[in-house]
Formats: sequence, C-alpha cells, structure tokens
Amino acid sequence: MSEQFKPNIVAFLCNWCTYAGADLAGTSRMQYPANVHIIRVMCTGRINPLFVVNAFQQGADGVIISGCHPGDCHYMEGNFYARRRFTMLREMLEYVGVEPERFHMSWVSASEGAKWKDVVEEAVESAQKVGPFDQFRRNKINW
Amino acid sequence: MVDLEKLRTVAKETVSRDDVKYLIGWRQGTYGFRVSPHFMKEPEEAEKLIFSPLCSNNLATYLTSVEKLPVPRGEEPDTRKVALMVKGCDSRAVVQQIVEQGIKREDVIIIGCPCDGIVDLNKVKEKFPNVLELVQARWNNGNVVFQLPEGEKEVPREEVLADKCLTCRYPNPVEADVMLWEEVKTRGSDEYADIKEMEVKDVQEKKSYWQDKFSTCIRCYSCRNVCPMCYCEDCILDRLNPNWIFRSVNATENMAFHLTRAFHLAGRCIECGECERVCPVDIPLMKLNRKLYKETREIFDYEPGLDLESKPLLASYRPDDQEDFIL
Amino acid sequence: MNNKPKIGVYVCHCGINISKTVDVEAVTEFASHLPYVEVARNYSYMCSDPGQLLIKEDIKNQGLNRIVVASCSPRMHELTFRKALAEVGLNPYYLEMANLREHCSWVHQDREEATIKAKKLVAAAAAKARLLEPLVENEVDVEPATLIIGGGIAGIQAALDIASAGFKVYMVEKTPSVGGKMSQLDKTFPTLDCSACILTPKMVDVASHPNIELMTYSQVEEVSGYVGNFEVKVRKKARYVDVNKCTGCGLCAEECRLHNRIPSEFDMGMGKRSAIYIPFPQAVPAKYTIDPERCLFLTRGKCGKGPKCIDACLPGAINFEQEDEIVEFKVGSVIVATGYDLFDPSRKPEYGYNDYPNVLTAMELERLVSASGPTGGEILLGRGKGEEPYIPKEIAFIQCVGSRDASCGNEYCSRVCCMYTAKLAHLMTEKIPDANVRVYYMDVRAFGKGFEEFYDRVRREGVHYIRGNPSEVFKRGDKLVVKAEDTLTATPLEDEVDMVVLAVGLEPRKDAREIMDLLRLSQSGDRFFLEAHPKLAPVDTATDGVYLAGCAQGPKDIPDTVAQAKGAASSALILLSSGKVKVQAQISSVDESTCRGCGFCVEICPYGAVDLVTVNRMGHQVQVARVNEAVCKGCGACVAGCLSGSIQQRSFKDEQILPQIAVLGGMR
Repeated sequence: MSEQFKPNIVAFLCNWCTYAGADLAGTSRMQYPANVHIIRVMCTGRINPLFVVNAFQQGADGVIISGCHPGDCHYMEGNFYARRRFTMLREMLEYVGVEPERFHMSWVSASEGAKWKDVVEEAVESAQKVGPFDQFRRNKINW
Repeated sequence: MVDLEKLRTVAKETVSRDDVKYLIGWRQGTYGFRVSPHFMKEPEEAEKLIFSPLCSNNLATYLTSVEKLPVPRGEEPDTRKVALMVKGCDSRAVVQQIVEQGIKREDVIIIGCPCDGIVDLNKVKEKFPNVLELVQARWNNGNVVFQLPEGEKEVPREEVLADKCLTCRYPNPVEADVMLWEEVKTRGSDEYADIKEMEVKDVQEKKSYWQDKFSTCIRCYSCRNVCPMCYCEDCILDRLNPNWIFRSVNATENMAFHLTRAFHLAGRCIECGECERVCPVDIPLMKLNRKLYKETREIFDYEPGLDLESKPLLASYRPDDQEDFIL
Repeated sequence: MNNKPKIGVYVCHCGINISKTVDVEAVTEFASHLPYVEVARNYSYMCSDPGQLLIKEDIKNQGLNRIVVASCSPRMHELTFRKALAEVGLNPYYLEMANLREHCSWVHQDREEATIKAKKLVAAAAAKARLLEPLVENEVDVEPATLIIGGGIAGIQAALDIASAGFKVYMVEKTPSVGGKMSQLDKTFPTLDCSACILTPKMVDVASHPNIELMTYSQVEEVSGYVGNFEVKVRKKARYVDVNKCTGCGLCAEECRLHNRIPSEFDMGMGKRSAIYIPFPQAVPAKYTIDPERCLFLTRGKCGKGPKCIDACLPGAINFEQEDEIVEFKVGSVIVATGYDLFDPSRKPEYGYNDYPNVLTAMELERLVSASGPTGGEILLGRGKGEEPYIPKEIAFIQCVGSRDASCGNEYCSRVCCMYTAKLAHLMTEKIPDANVRVYYMDVRAFGKGFEEFYDRVRREGVHYIRGNPSEVFKRGDKLVVKAEDTLTATPLEDEVDMVVLAVGLEPRKDAREIMDLLRLSQSGDRFFLEAHPKLAPVDTATDGVYLAGCAQGPKDIPDTVAQAKGAASSALILLSSGKVKVQAQISSVDESTCRGCGFCVEICPYGAVDLVTVNRMGHQVQVARVNEAVCKGCGACVAGCLSGSIQQRSFKDEQILPQIAVLGGMR
C-alpha cells in the first residue's frame, strides 16, 4: 500500500493576525498536519502574488496566504490590496491549469486559532487530492 | 475616410514647431506588406507618412522605451515634445502611460487616426503568398483593398484583419490633440468567446495546452520589448538580484516568465496585441492577457487606458471588493 | 572589515516544550552544516540569562555577525534577543527567529515529522539571516507645540493642560467664539451646574493664557508633514472688524440695518441677531463679526447711504477691506476635537418636527430654558406673529430620536440623551410647577456617577416614564397627540400634549470629511473618527502624533469628554516633553536608480509616506519615489505593488524572502 502523499505547503502569514492566530493554535495545543511551513511577513499587503508562482517553482505543492479580516488590517489597507491582487492571481492560475486546490487564501484573526487549524487541514487535504505539483517545479540545483 | 493630404499637412506643421523633437508615424516598409515606424524630424519627410490597414505597429511603445543616454557635461537634455500618430488601441496605451506617469500629457502631441482595423500578416501571407514587391492597401467600407502587382483585390475584413480588430471596441482614439478624419463606427463587441472556451476546459487540458505553448518559447523577450506598458528601468524579468526568473529556457522558467508578465499587465494591458504579433513562435499571448482583461472588466468594472484621471487597478481597492474564494 | 556572514544557530529546548517533540540535537547537528553557519548550539532555555550569555559570548569570541534563535514565537521574545545582541555591540536587526514551539512542537505529535519541519524552518531562518542588514532606529526632533482643532470643551481642556505644562498651543475654532455646544446649554446633568458658569472661566483662560494662540473664525486649510514635524496652514477668515480696535461694546449691532432680523444660530433659529454680531454675550473673544452672507454692504455693495455700523463704531474698528489671512506654523502633534452635530429630526417625519411649531428638539428647549435665550428663560409657546404666547402644561419627551435606529443609519446609542432628557424634564417641573411631564423611552441609560440617583429624583418629582417608542405625533384641534404603546402594561396610548420635545441623538459632523482628508483619519462603523484601538488606544489614531478628544471620536457627556481631552493632552505631551520620537527601522526605501516614478507606491501607501520627487539621473530630470522614513510604518504594501521591485522593505526584501521560499519548497 503506497504511503499517502505528503504535500509540501508554504504559507505566508501576516504578523499581526494570522501569525498570532497560529501562535494561539499552538498555545492551545491544537494538532494539525506538519506539512505547512510558515513565512512571516508584516502584512498580507507585502505578499507579492508572484511569490506564489515562485513557491510552486521551488517545489511547493500548495500555498496558503492568510491575514487580517478586511477592515482590521494593522496597517489599515494592506489586506484590501492583497485581496485585489490575489483575486487576479487566482483567476490566472486556474486558467493556466493550476488546480484551485493548491491555492488557499484566508482571513484568520489573532483570536481564531481554531480557524487556522481548519485552514491548514483544508489546504493539506485538498493538496493531497490533486497530488504532487510537478508542472512548475524547477529541477533541483546541485551546486 | 483616410485623408493622407491632411495627415501630411498636420505632420509638416507639427514638426516645424520649435517645441517638437520629432514625429513618430508609419511609412512603407522595405518589401511586401511591411510597414515601418518613421521618426520624422524634417517637414520634407512628411511625404513618406502613410496610414493604411498595414500599419499594425503600436508606436506608443517608443514614448517610454526611448533610451535616456547620459547627458554630456555642459549640455542640456532635449526635453521637447514628441508627436505621435495613434490608432484607437495605441491611444489607450498613451493614456495608460500618462496615468502611470511614464510620460506627461504635455510632453506628447497625440495625432489621432480613427482606424477600421489592421491586418494580421499571417492571414495576409496565407492569402497572398510570396509577394515581395511593395504593396499598398486601403479600407473600403470595412473591407481591405490590397493594391497587388497583379491589380486590386478586395478582401472581406473577417478574412484578413487581426483577431483583435474584429472584436475592437475602441477604433477611435480616446484622447487626441488633433483627430485627422471623422470617427469610424465601432463594428466589434467583445464577448471573449475564445477565453470562455478555454475556461470550461478541464484542468488537464488547460495544463497541457499552456505547457505545450510555453515550451516553444525561445525567450527572445520580443513580447516584453514591444509592449508599450513594459518600460521599467530594470525589468523584473531581467533582474539578477533577486533572481526571480532564471535565464534557462525550459518549461518552468518560460511559464514563470509569461505568468509574471501577464500578472504585471493585469489592469494595465490595453489589448493592442503587439506581443502576439511579434512573437516569432506564435504563442497565443493575447489568450492569456485577455483573460485577465476580461476579469478586470467583469469583477472590477475597470478598463485601463480610457480615463486620464483613473487610478491604476492594483494600486486601489474598494472596501466591498469580492472575496468569495477567501476562507 | 570582514563582511562575510558568520551565523550562529541556537536551538532552544524550552524545557521540554520543544524537546519533547522535536529532536533538538538532530536539528542542531543539521544546522551546523548549513551554509555560513559557524556555530550551532542547543540549550534548555535560550531566553534565560545563561541562554543569552551563550549567544553573547559566541558573538564576542567567534565574531558571529548573524544570529538565528530557533525557539518560541518571535512575537514572544524577538525583543529579548534583539536586546541581547545590542548589549554586545551587534546590530539588533541581525537576528532571525524560527518558531519551533507554537508552530511546530506544540501542534504536531509525530517526532519524525516535527523534526523534519523544524530543520526546514531553521534552514529557512538561516537563509534569511545571511542576507539581513544592519538597521538603525532613527530619531526625529519634535516641535514643542500642538495644534488643537476645535474650540469646544474638549479642545479647551486639552489646550489648558498642554499650555500649563509649558508648551505652545495653537487653537483653531471655526466659529467666531470658543465654547462649542456646551455654551448653548443651560444646566448640565446630573449636578445641574450652570453650563456657562463652569465653561466661561475656562474660555477666558484659553484666551488669556500666554502659551495659547487662539484663532477663532479660522479654519485649518492644510496639514502636511509627519509626527513631530507637522506643517500647518490656517485661514483666518475676514471678520471685517479689526479685533485690535473692537471693544465689544455692541453699538454696531444696535444700529445695523438688519438689527434683529437674522435668525441666530446660537439660539437654534429661535432668536434674532444683526448682520454684525457676537454669537452670545459671553463669547470669547468678545469681538464682533460681520456675516458675509447677510450683510447688505458685502452682498449688494451698498447699505443705504452708508453702513450704519461704521458710524456707530467709535474706535473705528469696521473695515470692509479686510481679507482672509493665511498663517503657517509648525507643530509636533495635533488634537482633533471637532465635536458633533445634532440629528436633524426632519429625517423622522412621523414626529412632525417640520409640520408643527410645538415639536422642538432638546437643544431648542435648552435655549428656551436658558436665561440668555430668546425668551429669557421662560418656556413659552405661540411666539409667532399674531399669536398669543402661552405656557405649555402637557409636555412629552421622546427618547432615541435618531439613535439606536437602523432606518436613520444610526444604530448606536448617543449616550447623553437619557440624562439630558431627565435634566430637561426636571427643569420643566421647576419652571412650570403644574406641568404634567412624561418621557417615552426604550431604555433609560443612567450609567455614570450620580446619574441613577438623578433619574430617581426626577421620577420622584412626578415625571412619568412610559416605556414605549411613539410611532407618531399628529395634531388634533390645538393639541398634539403622541401615539405610543405602554409596553409594560400593553396599553395603547394617545396622549394629548401641548409640547413635544425630541431627544435628538449625536451625529458626526457634516464637515467631518474635510478633517479626515486633512489628517488621513478613518471613520469607524458609526462614522465618528476611528481610534487606533477601541480599548487600549482610545485617543490615538492610525496617524502618529494625531489624537482625538471629545465627541469627534464618539458620543459622550461632558465628564467623559474632559477626561478624554486630558488623555489626549497627555499623549501629546509625551511627544512634546521627550522632544524626540523614534522611527520604525523595518521600513521601505527606494532604489532611485531603477525606480520609474509610476507612483503606484504613492497611491498604495495607507499613511501617505511615499512621495514623488525629481532627481537628476545622468543629466535627465526624472521623477522617482521617495519614502518619508518618519511616516513609514513598515507594512510593505508598496513593495508588492512595485512592478520593478525598486521599493523594498528592510528586513523583508524580496531577496530575503525568496531564499526562504527556496528552502521551504525543498529546492535548497
């Protein structure tokens, strides 16, 4: 019986909301799969949508973007810009054949540890469904 | 419709002005159906200027891609105006460049040429192969009349015009200092049929379609070079620090290249189609750019290149922007 | 100097919090082989003194210049470790942390998986650490002055506090006198203090305090700059009266051709004034102003044979040639105390405010009650032409008019109306001993000090409280009928009364948008100005150095307004007295050689921290973006919007994030 595919998921979280929410999930000892690796930025507004394309090139099978709820952004407007940018990115990715199950975006506030756990589980499950993402992957560089 | 007399008179007058550096227009090319851009500095050159269904070049790209060479000591840079002849699509490029502050409105004199559609050279060459002698063309009631060596041939527009012209909604320049002749009627309406066709394909089909197309890319950068909206001093596609996209020509880097460019054009591409025209391996680039254009229109009710006062799409937001995909 | 990165990796056990699930030895061993890592250690409690000492010693002895601490969340101890670096002379921004606890050992159970993830997180942190740069938290000087916009009780209190602390205050008030709405009140709840008696001494103080420069009949036109260094432009509107000569004698107003022909705003349109006027007798400054929209000379170019005010004025203070004056000055902080507007009850037509003269707003009743009002303090109805004035006996108050009402767009409670209604009801029983006063309410909110006691007293004095929101007020004969339901007894009512008083709610000012645009303020859901944090920063705004006081931030009564004004003054004083303000280090900056001046970053920045400037690039004058380092808060929204990657955020540059992605994706 083949081992279930373990997807490699990169997550970009904003410092003030989702990163804190994930911290809360940790403090509350909620358990979730170990496939998600977090990169901390100060605001979802910082996240260049092309990071997602780059992540796929660098071997990720799935990407999560998460930040503050609209209206609650620590920097007032950053997540509004993120929302627009990722709406366009998502349309583009789906159009060129990237399974929508590979890209997740969520609003998780600093008090929503449980929601973060749900987002992780959803992302891992759906990435498992569509399997490893080889289409964009760069060949490993052996220096 | 096309009044060459008026065109040349206006060109002569404009170039004679003290505050005009040069005028960019079209002149006949070197063979066959070719047309070249012409940088006119002296009034006498006006006779060379033409306007016909063969004038496919979007001259707006010369406004921003002009290289600013270091100014020798003791000299002043030449900041005089540039006059530019534009079709409908070209004028939108100029408007968008002004919105993005790539050029100032007062630095350009826009000479508007309402256009009934320009030809797709691939279609023309299929119809009239192996023509080396210089050919002229003109419009007649929306169709194109070619003056070939063997005589005049009228061809229905659907058979020979570029796809972008058949769905064109802005044949008349949207901004101009002088409009050379009366406006043409808008014959096209864009339903994005080709985009919708692609959207309903399943994931595997889409994947293999685009992988197939992008694997033929030779990374000549022509699409980026010709695009009027691509004029960053240090283009992200070239950058080495950080090295977003490797220079290797393979499926994944090509994919990243085109996705990056298409995304950077989101809300900025004005559908002039030049990228597809110049691609040496015929990648359907407009199929990708128009998808983002369609989404910009449908989701955000925004079209770039129409309003000098508009805000760039991704540098603005509305508190009620949609977010149905966000968990 | 040797710039080669030398990374030290420190893996924390955190007791057993991390080490129980993550094999810290294996992670340390793995880290020691990462590029540029010189030292890799693990220890039970990195944040403790001995733990920090490990790091400090290695920095000193091994010349480490980049530190990775793999432990708990950076939100916990980033500052701790930054301090440790600074203590041994290493720039504190050479630190990167990997979260092995909240994001790893606490949320996973499988030791193997958790350890693999921990290794990846450490490798990503090391990849970024290698590319970190030394950053400096700059300081900017603070101009020792404050601008206060608004001359009501909030602005006045804040001004007096700051001036008493020894700092300069510029106070700008739109109307000809300070005092605000409080000056229109007669008595204040729950103490029944005379409003003018407690307010006017403070108004006089503000005008005479040596540290306060009072500009009335003036408006702030422009505020530019940033915390500590605001540049302010104020337009002092022309009064057409030379304030240095005017003695406030009032003869001009007596002689004015439009004497007592213009409805007085101060008396809510119920009293009259002249075209040259003083808003109320105790106005500060006591200088007259000519109304440019009513004065015959100013609107028509002639006033009879000549303006009579000029003849009447002995010091010769009238000057029709006077022009607006623009003054400019610098301040270190700004306090917004612009107050509120009252709800216009025409928006609730069912109460008949526009139809029946005997339906009044509470403020209108307040003016009738006031001894300096149009009726000298007597409650008189029927004051129109040809009418016989009379005293109402049957009086009804309707609460929550324009508050707690989604249909008017005001879902909030205006906080003061229950108490001012109780006060006015009490005053009715005092002024009209045989009056029958009733109050129609939904809830009575008597939450403050002495409020509940006052409410009890008022009810003991015979005021009837009826729980039911009236649906309608209409005329029957010469009475008004209030149609309601007493919900406590489920009885429908149609009470015939002489006067209906509407307890109108507080609303944000109609000109709030002007102030918002001036200072980049936002609105909360109720359209009052948005505070930085509803609980922990109620007087701060998102713009550093700009504070809120009073009803501009939300409806509140006088005690709360004064308290908040003192709070805003205190916040402003922190800036002013320290004389310097620290500026964020992890901010954005522009590579001016690659920037093409498209202005996207300028549009995007929520703080207006980026501007376009013209620079000389190889002989050409080109436009590029430039970040004001004192204003940038380090969100990075500009970076993601820049097409060429010319603007980057320090510590979060693209070139620092892409290696993290490479490691976590698995390509390195």
